[in-house]
Amino acid sequence: MLEHTKGQEQQGTDRSMSDTQAPVVELVNVSKTYGRRGGGVRAVRDVSLTVAPGEVYGFLGPNGAGKSTTIRMMLGLIAPSGGEVRLFGEDLRRNPSVLRRVGSLVDGGAFYPFLSGRRNLEVVAKTHGGDGARIDELLDQVGLAKDAKRKVKGYSTGMRQRLGVAAALLNDPDIVILDEPVNGLDVAGIQEMRALIRGLAADRGKSVFLSSHLLHEVQQVCDRVAIVSKGEVVRESGIAELLRQDAGLRVEAAPLDIAEAALAARWKVERSGDALLVDATKDEAPEVARRLIGAGANLFGLAAEQRNLEDVFLSITQPEAPDA
Amino acid sequence: MLDALAAERLKLTRHKATWFLVWLYPILFLIAFAISVAVGLAHSGDPSKPVTAAAWIEQTALIWKLPDQSIGRILIAAYVAVVFAGEYGWNTWKLVIPHRSRTTLVAAKLAMIFLLLFAALALTALISLVFTWLEGAVRGRAIPDGVTATALLHAHGREALAGLAPFLFTLGSISLAAVLTRSMVAALVIGVVIAIAEKLFVQLGPFLAPYAPGIVWTLYHGLPGYHLVNLASWITDGVAHKAPFPDGRIVALGWTTSLAVSAAWIVALTAGTFAAFRRQDIN
Repeated sequence: MLEHTKGQEQQGTDRSMSDTQAPVVELVNVSKTYGRRGGGVRAVRDVSLTVAPGEVYGFLGPNGAGKSTTIRMMLGLIAPSGGEVRLFGEDLRRNPSVLRRVGSLVDGGAFYPFLSGRRNLEVVAKTHGGDGARIDELLDQVGLAKDAKRKVKGYSTGMRQRLGVAAALLNDPDIVILDEPVNGLDVAGIQEMRALIRGLAADRGKSVFLSSHLLHEVQQVCDRVAIVSKGEVVRESGIAELLRQDAGLRVEAAPLDIAEAALAARWKVERSGDALLVDATKDEAPEVARRLIGAGANLFGLAAEQRNLEDVFLSITQPEAPDA
Repeated sequence: MLDALAAERLKLTRHKATWFLVWLYPILFLIAFAISVAVGLAHSGDPSKPVTAAAWIEQTALIWKLPDQSIGRILIAAYVAVVFAGEYGWNTWKLVIPHRSRTTLVAAKLAMIFLLLFAALALTALISLVFTWLEGAVRGRAIPDGVTATALLHAHGREALAGLAPFLFTLGSISLAAVLTRSMVAALVIGVVIAIAEKLFVQLGPFLAPYAPGIVWTLYHGLPGYHLVNLASWITDGVAHKAPFPDGRIVALGWTTSLAVSAAWIVALTAGTFAAFRRQDIN
């Protein structure tokens, strides 16, 4: 299942928003201010993003960045102070019934504690207007078939999370919005969730909007990501593009001091053991080599640094330390 | 809407507090009448006073007076508080809001509260009817002349109608309090204060009039307390409820005025619940 996942990831990264299909989600300058105007707190500032049909979209940001507030605005739980939330081309404020095409998991699955897992899904199905025909299938899919008759107040965090996923998929939504879906899951559960998310997009053509602080998970399952910091989207791009854009060069040269001095005049340079990490693009590699040779350093290795999403995320969301 | 009602019924019938606050009435009446019948059996040889048909019928319809009593209002307030504020406490609004319009969700709650409580009171009235007959039988009393199905239906319908306005007022005010405070305890406290203060004001208002005659007179006419009592008086007795003030004036309004004022309060409070919930952020 994981191999399938990786294959789909590569395929997914090539998908672009130039698709002719209308976006499933479109946020246009969405803002949320709590409290009085003027003295209020702006939790979300002019967030704009789009999610294409069949796309797995990651929403990344540190705690307090405004991820949950944004998701709540997409689900009609919170009214935006400004901007527009469009789902399937419909303005959510004017046509809230469009939410019936959305499945969601927020707050790790909020359920009626005095009802069993199965009864909770029945409540969701009836509220939606469905017959709940898929309840047993979904309980089995999320591994809760045996505990379906137990009251939810006795469920562990992971079990609630699984039930939340079942509730999100109950009415066969066109987009599934998941807020931290792997919280509380064990390793096996995380792997199953990863496969489930990719399967939703790859096999069933669903869109998935995924908020997570587990960057590794996002990197593995998402086609595109938006990185939010302090309520603003600071980067939105395909995963591959993002990693490529932000990859630096790893330089192995000697003497290291001479090499560092030669490159630091042009790029940001960091030492990494016996090598240098240069904040340059792959296209700039020849110039890096020329500078090193020109400065009299011996060049032993020059390669594009393979950064992961975590490095990119931290470089974007964490302020740089002031120069000494 | 029927689906939303079914979902609401599923929740309300499976929660201990909401189950108890509905079926409390038939259970209590059943116990009380069972004791009464047992006492009747123990003293079956004693002569018992004959009762009139009106008194017999009135005894069977006592339960319908509950929504107009302070204790009844408090019990109904507790139920409404749990049903509405419970969703905030359990954090479950976010589970259901994406699936239905907020208007439908509130309407389903109001309708299901009304239906379940009406069913419980109707069942209690039926228990009263059966046990009043049974109690009379064990005490050697026959059903008085004049007790007919038509007379029973008429009396029960009249008492149920008299209790409707206070019930709807409690429903509207406590649902709004629950939505605004998002707390079961706060909504219940508000319910207790309203139930007691309103009754007290109807009784004590005239005695307060010498201290602030204009304000008391205006409040007496504007607040729902007098109008709810007056409407019930018109329905059950066919006359206005008279409230004499120390300065010689008497408040005794027509039923249409009290109906209009009561309806205005009920509509405003219920509309307030819908409006407040529609605009509310669910964090």
